[in-house]
Amino acid sequence: MKKINNNNKGYNKLLFIAALVFVFSCSKDYLDVDPNKPIPEQLNADDAEGLVNSIYSAHLQWVDSGTEVWNINSFSWIGVSSITSDNAEKGSIPGDPGRDKDLLDDFTFTPTVLSFSDLFEGHYKGIQRANQALSRIPTFEMDAALQTRLIGEAKFLRAHFYFRLAKMFGGVSLITGRDSSLERATLEDTYKFIEQDLLDAISALPKKADYTLEDLGRATQGAAKALLAKLYMYYASNIDASKWQNVWDLTNEIMISNAYGLMPNYEDVWKDSHENNQESIFEIQGHGQLPTLVGIQGYSQTQAPRGGDDNLGWGFNTPTQDLADSYEAGDTRSDATIIFRGETLFDGRLISESVLNPMYNQKAYSSTAPSIREGEKNIRVLRYAEVLLMNAEAALETGRDAASPLNTVRNRAGLGNAPTVDKAAIWRERRHELAFEHDRFFDLVRQGRAGQVLRAHGKAFVDGKHEYFPIPQVQIDKSEGILIQNSGY
Amino acid sequence: MNKIMNLRFLAIAFCTLLTQSLISQQLINGTIQDTNKNPIPGVNIIIKNSLKGTVTDFDGNFSLQANKDAILVISYVGFVTQEITVTDNNYYLITFLEDLSQLDEVVVVGYGTQKKEVLTSSVSSLKGKDLAKEPLVNAIQALQGKAAGVQIVASDAPGRASTVVIRGLGTVQGGRDPLYVVDGLLTDNINNINSSDILTLSVLKDAASLAIYGNRGANGVIIVTTKKGKTGKLKVSLDSYTGVRDILSKVRVADGKSYVTYFNEAALRDFNNEKDASFIELPSQSIYNTNWLDEITRVGQVVNHNLSLSGGTENIRAFFSVGLYDEKGIIKGNDYNRLTLRSNVDYKLSDKLNFSHNVSVQLSNLDVKNDKLFTTAYKQTPIIPVRNQDGTFANASAYNNVGNPVAELLFQDERHKLNRIQASFNMNYKIIEPLTFTSRFSIELDNNRFIKFDNHLARVEAAGSAFSGDAENTLTIKNENNYRWFLDNYFTYDKTFNEDHHLKTTFGFVSEESRRSHNEAISNDLPIEKNLRYNINNGSNRNSNGEIEPFIRLYSYLARVNYEYKDTYLLNASYRRDGSSQFKEGDNFFGDFFAFSAGWIVSNENFMKGGIFDKLKLRASYGELGNQNVPLNVLTAGDLNESRYSFNGTVVEGITIDSTVVPLTWEVTTELNLGAEFAFFDRRLTGEVDYYERTNTNAILDVALPSPYGLQGFKDHVAEINNTGVEVLLNWSNQVNEKFKYNIGTNFTYNKNELSKILNPFFFKSIGGNLGNGQFTKRVDVGQPLGSFFLHEVEGIDDKGELVYKDLNNDGSIDENDKRYFGSFIPKISMGLNLGVNYNNFDLSVEAFANFGNKVYNGKKAQRSSGENTEAVAFNNRWIPERPSNFEPGAFNSIPLASNFFLESGDFVRVNNITVGYTIPSENLKFFSKLRIYASAKNPFIFKDFSGFNPELPGDDNGNPLGTSGVELDAFPNLRSFYLGINTSF
Repeated sequence: MKKINNNNKGYNKLLFIAALVFVFSCSKDYLDVDPNKPIPEQLNADDAEGLVNSIYSAHLQWVDSGTEVWNINSFSWIGVSSITSDNAEKGSIPGDPGRDKDLLDDFTFTPTVLSFSDLFEGHYKGIQRANQALSRIPTFEMDAALQTRLIGEAKFLRAHFYFRLAKMFGGVSLITGRDSSLERATLEDTYKFIEQDLLDAISALPKKADYTLEDLGRATQGAAKALLAKLYMYYASNIDASKWQNVWDLTNEIMISNAYGLMPNYEDVWKDSHENNQESIFEIQGHGQLPTLVGIQGYSQTQAPRGGDDNLGWGFNTPTQDLADSYEAGDTRSDATIIFRGETLFDGRLISESVLNPMYNQKAYSSTAPSIREGEKNIRVLRYAEVLLMNAEAALETGRDAASPLNTVRNRAGLGNAPTVDKAAIWRERRHELAFEHDRFFDLVRQGRAGQVLRAHGKAFVDGKHEYFPIPQVQIDKSEGILIQNSGY
Repeated sequence: MNKIMNLRFLAIAFCTLLTQSLISQQLINGTIQDTNKNPIPGVNIIIKNSLKGTVTDFDGNFSLQANKDAILVISYVGFVTQEITVTDNNYYLITFLEDLSQLDEVVVVGYGTQKKEVLTSSVSSLKGKDLAKEPLVNAIQALQGKAAGVQIVASDAPGRASTVVIRGLGTVQGGRDPLYVVDGLLTDNINNINSSDILTLSVLKDAASLAIYGNRGANGVIIVTTKKGKTGKLKVSLDSYTGVRDILSKVRVADGKSYVTYFNEAALRDFNNEKDASFIELPSQSIYNTNWLDEITRVGQVVNHNLSLSGGTENIRAFFSVGLYDEKGIIKGNDYNRLTLRSNVDYKLSDKLNFSHNVSVQLSNLDVKNDKLFTTAYKQTPIIPVRNQDGTFANASAYNNVGNPVAELLFQDERHKLNRIQASFNMNYKIIEPLTFTSRFSIELDNNRFIKFDNHLARVEAAGSAFSGDAENTLTIKNENNYRWFLDNYFTYDKTFNEDHHLKTTFGFVSEESRRSHNEAISNDLPIEKNLRYNINNGSNRNSNGEIEPFIRLYSYLARVNYEYKDTYLLNASYRRDGSSQFKEGDNFFGDFFAFSAGWIVSNENFMKGGIFDKLKLRASYGELGNQNVPLNVLTAGDLNESRYSFNGTVVEGITIDSTVVPLTWEVTTELNLGAEFAFFDRRLTGEVDYYERTNTNAILDVALPSPYGLQGFKDHVAEINNTGVEVLLNWSNQVNEKFKYNIGTNFTYNKNELSKILNPFFFKSIGGNLGNGQFTKRVDVGQPLGSFFLHEVEGIDDKGELVYKDLNNDGSIDENDKRYFGSFIPKISMGLNLGVNYNNFDLSVEAFANFGNKVYNGKKAQRSSGENTEAVAFNNRWIPERPSNFEPGAFNSIPLASNFFLESGDFVRVNNITVGYTIPSENLKFFSKLRIYASAKNPFIFKDFSGFNPELPGDDNGNPLGTSGVELDAFPNLRSFYLGINTSF
């Protein structure tokens, strides 16, 4: 005790020094603690391909908790892009509305119809994934060629999503990141945005032949050109006729590149054994084989024949009699497009006489897995035949040779040359060539005769309203009034 | 001057001599003790009008020479000064009464103490000896109804903590618990603290007192100071109690006969009231009438022993205690025991240097039984037996999907072992007179083990079914290890200048580190023998997971200045700069928190002297506090399974980030407090009134951007949450005479809770109160209190006996858009009443607690569906065609919508405690120096409207407003308990 007392002064100093050392040795280093989980900032070049794969994957399943939600290529998309048209009707049985497919068929839908929500949200989720990739990949230190290609793929996919939104809803919010404005762009600005993405994609993407086999199914330069040509076709039809020149230029480039050609047999195009065939320019890939199913959930199943011995599926989106009757005699596309009750299919499957609908969509039929939910079916998004038909229409508009491309398509279908080459002929050809390829309704709107055709078909189409579908009400509500509803709704 | 003094001295000396010569002096002995019969050392005893006097020794004894009729003046800080006239007796046992005016009461505040009289902040404090009068497992229970502004939602489940909310719930997603400080160590609960060890408990409520705790102050702070050894002879105390517990209020379910009737009526409704060939009716004669609640419960038993030793010399003082608590819970097999050890030692190493250590150890074991059993017992049909005649457990699969409650109980083989060590080492060094340096290192170690053996095979076989699972049994062992340490260094400067100016400052720096880790091992197919089944190595399919979490570090500067002028004008400022490793937005880890307060003791002004006020103090404070315990947007890349695709038939993996990282920081709460303290009638009536406004200015809530952004929801600072309230505290204490004293205390709290403002239009109205059957009962919204019930409104019962819901938006269909708000589970008003009476050797305390203005949801009734049992009231009053009812719908099997039909008033008044004690007069004691016996009833009565077990419902997630707080579903009921106990010292 005494000792401590005597050494008080020394103690004193020691304490102060200890205290001071402690104060000043402490710095941000002490507080800067490393996390123990991978964080987004740690994504690097190794993840670049994964970031782009996930954009493709946005085409597949969306499973939100609670309510039934569909991916952007199956049930909801079928309803909006096909059942609305004169080629198809709801199908299935009267007591099964397929959530809202009866409303889509009759044009009695409202902004609360859930199919619109699925598609609106689903496409923007894909766009978000593209935005993620596009904001990150350019910052990675990586192989320049791969980096360029991946950016090109992301831009192509983003353009594809936006183009579909524009076809469904008109001008939409152009989101490239969290700071983008939610206000809807005009249709023209939306087209311009898509145009720029596709121009970038064309210059960034390799040709189909330059990909290795393992990358079969990725976006190619040819796909970007074909999609841009189609965009210009809408641009030309809806806003600026001078874009027909661009349609012709791009389709012509694809044609003279000799990278694609028609399959000799029309029916083969949709067979599982001919996925990603020579005619195919872009497909959404479904993989329905174990152990890992990565298919387009419900695409084949919702459209497969209902009832009968096999009861393959739900039987929605059935061909109309009007479509069946409209084929010229000898047109091989009729049988290739439509499964008729009692028919024996190319793979030997007998479609029982007791199926519940007279006709079904054969283009959704999958031989390997006709009835499983997550099947093998690829969706053919862009085909060389459509390039030819776009070329024909552009040629007609710009005073060039429309007959050759048109007749190439007809001849493959077992038909002779077109007696007359005019708009009506090309449009009719589009209907038959592209039936059930999710084009007809939008094509009718583009052609400006949707009301006329669809009302004749008994649908309650209102001009000036139904050209575009309503923005989902839930989105209008969520946006706090920033999103403006389409007219008429 | 000197001369005069000398003269006076001479005169006194002369007089003394004179009296001494005239009246014979006698030697007087005596003992001075407090009302609890504890001897008080160091008491001054002076013969009035003389200079003669003495001081009591360690045992409270004194002796001195005095004349008959001399007056002894006995005084000691904190006690009422007494005068005793010397008689012919030469032994005096003097019971010293505490000075209830508490002029010198010291309150423990952050990093120091303050005199209550000059405090400018709002602090409630309780003394440990008030807690010791009644049986308590956890000191927090004792706070209920005793401190205004402190809302305790009690849980009576063995080993479980109550939830504590101070001055209203100010956050949804952030941590809601107050900060606890035990002898300087910051911690998140005090379940490990033996309530007998507590000396004082302070609840800091306003910014002025909380700002010194910076980014952990926003939810309030509860400071616990444990007992220290006292100089003097060794004092041994043994306190024990034992008691029984059962459910305070039970819900009567339908009996077997009623069940059958209800079942058949509901089935008929399923058949649209038309019996066809497939309609099967239960026979009305049922053999069994099982009361499932009785089958799973028993009378709970509690035994508690607490032994403490206290003593010391001038230089070393020590306190040691050991506590043993053992409870057999009311659910069969739900056993809990806890051992606590404490050693607090103070060393005076020199006049300048003091050292102390406080070490406490807790070891506890809990055999876990799910609260869900109460729901299972409620729902299960009474018409099956517990066991079939072959000994297998009966199952009700023919009637419903509810398990056999007794089987579930028996097959739950789960144990939690929680060990905690807390230690703090404290050094005080007086550098120069007014300046003291304090250095403290404290550490807390938690080691928790969770063991669960799930015998699937036995479960299935017992139910008489064929086993078809993968693994026959599963053993899960989880270990959790957490530690945290603190190093606090601060200076205290305390000086009075020129008599009138008193300055006290504290400034220093503190650092902290904590880290959590856990690992879990699982294996299957173990041998089922008791000695083999808990060894992971004996099983197959072993796998494990675990994580050592990143360090959480804090480094902070703190400062506080108190200034008093003439003990009348008071100013206080406090500041803390907190650096936290969790927040490094823009490389800035630091946040600043501060408070200012001022007080005016009006009663010390000359113009108030002689008025009715013995004390009148006005005070005001304002400051900013933080809550660092917030969820962070931890976004990990690549954890999505929805990003696969295939090329050329080969599956490829994708990586994406479907959300966004918004850097989050602590929630900042501002608080304004206006208060008054007053005393009348010789300080017999004292009181405090406080008004406060607390606003969480940047509450974190979910944000859902509109879908075009394509992002999943994330969290952001988007809301203001406001709590405005009034607290009133009144206490009447009166010492009528030496034998009789009493006090009546009451407190009242009004609090208005509201999510007052939204700062981001895309704030997501999160739903909650999940009933687990697709129905949600709550939603967060602006303009509503947190945890508001959001429900359909029932209009009545239609002619088919079905509930009719209001179509609020008149769109012809009943959906989410037809729900509305019905108020929150958070009470608006709570009140406490405390009565204490000491008469002779008897003491009585009565405490009551009440809360009003909240709603509770009868979740188990709302969850009931197909073939499950119903409440007797619901059965007896149900709609039947012959007896239309507007109270209860007809029998049904469907899942009812979440509606106000199940919402009830949460108001209740409960008597929390009645304790009667008798202290055996010390004259009659030989071995003991003190012996008190008492009987105590906890929660003997409740007055409530709620039809469920209990309106006090902390919920499944520690008071989360979006959890099941206020929803009676899988809830442990309140218990009533009856105890007998003794307090002894020797």
